[in-house]
Amino acid sequence: MSEVPSAHTPREATSWPRLGRRAHGRRATLEGGIGILLAAALGAATSRLAGDLNAAGLTQRLAQERGRVVLLNFWATWCEPCREEFPSLSRLQRSYENRGLRVLGVSTDLPSQLSAVEKFLEAQQPAFPNYRKAAGGDDQDFIDSVDKSWGGELPFSVLYARDGRKAMVLSGKQSYRDLEREVRKLLNSSS
Amino acid sequence: MRLPRTILLTAALATVGAFARAEAPPIGSPAPNFTLTAIDGKAFSLAEATKSHKAVVVMFIATQCPYSNAYNDRMRELAAAYGKDGVLFVGINSNKTEPTDEVVQHAKKHGLTFPILKDPGNKVADLYDARHTPEVFVIDPSGVLRYHGRIDENYEDASKVTSPDLKNALNALLSNKPIAKAETKAFGCSIKRV
Repeated sequence: MSEVPSAHTPREATSWPRLGRRAHGRRATLEGGIGILLAAALGAATSRLAGDLNAAGLTQRLAQERGRVVLLNFWATWCEPCREEFPSLSRLQRSYENRGLRVLGVSTDLPSQLSAVEKFLEAQQPAFPNYRKAAGGDDQDFIDSVDKSWGGELPFSVLYARDGRKAMVLSGKQSYRDLEREVRKLLNSSS
Repeated sequence: MRLPRTILLTAALATVGAFARAEAPPIGSPAPNFTLTAIDGKAFSLAEATKSHKAVVVMFIATQCPYSNAYNDRMRELAAAYGKDGVLFVGINSNKTEPTDEVVQHAKKHGLTFPILKDPGNKVADLYDARHTPEVFVIDPSGVLRYHGRIDENYEDASKVTSPDLKNALNALLSNKPIAKAETKAFGCSIKRV
């Protein structure tokens, strides 16, 4: 699609990190130094998370999506409305990927909740990459870096236009229809 | 009049939600007055409470939110400790999904003996633009909002708190000193308005 700049497009959402896919079976068949290295690489990548992001990292990650409309969603496993909203995000990504939508998820769970995060992602099989808010620092700084109007409530989403401009913030759980309406407006706009 | 799309988009930075919401009252402005019924059936008036206390701490809380529940012990302890100094702690449950009988049982289970008010139609949450639980507002005897935000920065472990923001605000207020951090933020559960 000409409207989606491939130079800044990371892996397709449908093939987003699934490096943990039963790496252990292979590991047993590998021998020697190369095998150990490969096994280590596979073993280290058993996470369904695409990585950790602090405020600066998030800004850089968003910059990679310039040319696309981005729906950035903050969630947590303990947040019931976040879990309820999550399938709509995958549906949006699948429906509008070809028109240039990129959904990005960020879990705000604490490091101690990592296993719950992995379990949730395993069950959800999201069609978009999910990151984890990097541990450390004061949450207030992270919240303010995303948007000054954000009070810290979850779920919380931000819509960015193709030129990277922040177009809208969405507080609390949104319906698929509401999200779709706002996404379509931005996809249809020229900038 | 039809505005050019670019202007509309520039002006479109707005919050979408399933509810209409007022702006949060700024620190230093009069806190909106309200009257609600507590879960024990008694009427509670903020204006009355501020007159007879050195401060009133209004806490938006929940029964089912893990973030709010992580603070049950801290809320109980703070209410007891600062109660001796004339500070009144009040909980407000604005969640449509948490009925009064559930709020009563929750308070009993966690030993929350401070007044807890049910906020039908989340009118008070809207007045204060309260977004999530737990979220705290401190009001001084003249009815002015002096602090808004979190109890502290570490919901997971009370023993590792490094920024006891509510305590700091109350200590400053009680000793007539300026509150250094009058607005703070933390993650929390959205107040369930629908």
